[in-house]
Amino acid sequence: MGRYYISTGSITYAIKGRDTLRNKGFKVWIERNSKVLSSGGCGYNIVLDGDINSAERELKKAGVKILQINEG
Amino acid sequence: MIYLDNAATTGKKPETVIKAVNNALYKLSANPGRSGHKISINAASAVYNARQKISDFFSSSGPENVVFTANCTESLNFVIKGLLERGDKCVTSDIEHNAVMRPLFSLGADIKTAAVTENEDETYENFKNIITEDTKLVICTAGSNVLGLKPPIKRIGLLCKEMGIPFAVDAAQGAGVIPINMKEYGIDYLCIAAHKGLYAPMGVGVLIADKPIKKTIIEGGTGTMSESLIQPDMMPEKFESGTVNTPAIAAISAGIDFISKKGINNIYKHEMQLCKTLYFALKNNPDVLLYTNSFNGDNYLPVISFNVKNLTSMETAAYLDGKGIAVRAGLHCAPSAHKKIGTLDIGTVRVSPSVFTTRNEIEYLIKAVNEIKYKKY
Repeated sequence: MGRYYISTGSITYAIKGRDTLRNKGFKVWIERNSKVLSSGGCGYNIVLDGDINSAERELKKAGVKILQINEG
Repeated sequence: MIYLDNAATTGKKPETVIKAVNNALYKLSANPGRSGHKISINAASAVYNARQKISDFFSSSGPENVVFTANCTESLNFVIKGLLERGDKCVTSDIEHNAVMRPLFSLGADIKTAAVTENEDETYENFKNIITEDTKLVICTAGSNVLGLKPPIKRIGLLCKEMGIPFAVDAAQGAGVIPINMKEYGIDYLCIAAHKGLYAPMGVGVLIADKPIKKTIIEGGTGTMSESLIQPDMMPEKFESGTVNTPAIAAISAGIDFISKKGINNIYKHEMQLCKTLYFALKNNPDVLLYTNSFNGDNYLPVISFNVKNLTSMETAAYLDGKGIAVRAGLHCAPSAHKKIGTLDIGTVRVSPSVFTTRNEIEYLIKAVNEIKYKKY
């Protein structure tokens, strides 16, 4: 299990995703997207230290739009 | 001053609302959803919490469907101009505020109006008779800001759902006073004046859009996908170009907590009791004109319009102002309602209490109105 940056685009989905995962016991926080701006532009990442597959499932179940997932 | 103009904006705000504004100004003074530093993210969290609270309060599909606007009028413009094209058929009521009528008129919609009466079944049939398969939108008020009459929005909403027609509600007067359950009532778009029944400060409105709205009428910076010149399609930012009013939004959360603690049914009962006291006292005054035949049952919001014979509404309101009583006179930005009751030339005096209004204040108003007949004009 590593560190993953889940790009959601907007702060609204980042917070929704963060709260969804925190309620399920995941270790997550929000960071501004510090990678190249041209792919996805200004936006926010949910930073996850944990199991990305389970986290992705929970986010999809909660209707959180995932633009990209990058491994840290 | 006795403030009885709460339909314009709630005059007294709960302490918790004022504290929420102060707290936001001290601790959340950063642009939510724009930067990566802690204060910005904390501000964004406060905004998101308000979205969640609003979504839960009105039983909408989710916090991402809650959009913060400048006011209810802006929310209504987003719905009407986002969904309709010139010539599209739209059904509304005959007691709507200009916030509904003016955008419909300026767009050139084909407007059909249903008469709202004091008989709920009759009002429902009036709507049912003019909603057809090619109606593109049904939009109506949760309650008149002039007469207090409440169209049966749940029945209209369920009819629209059955027919597959979008249904929007102008809840400027009803939100925070009567329960509104979007899912149960078949409401697709709910427009709210947060500074009225939700006790937030002026400068913020809400649009809850549980169905998509295709077009935007304001585009700009959203803090997302900035490299593109195309307005992002993602809710709620699609309709939140520019900076939102974080202190007022934080206040909405506190306002909803206040209402939930008091109990919305208790608030309605309190305000309606005050209005009934006023209504029946005014009915006993032969110099006073009232504009509804009764004020019983659940067909009304706590809003009463009246006039004193031989005076314009503005003259009566000025007299009451001199007595330290704040009411609103004129057309209340709702000429449709005044056309219906024949008061386009003189307007009406409108009394609208809040949860903070006391029986003593209403009794004082009654005494002041009764004294008018002894004045020479």
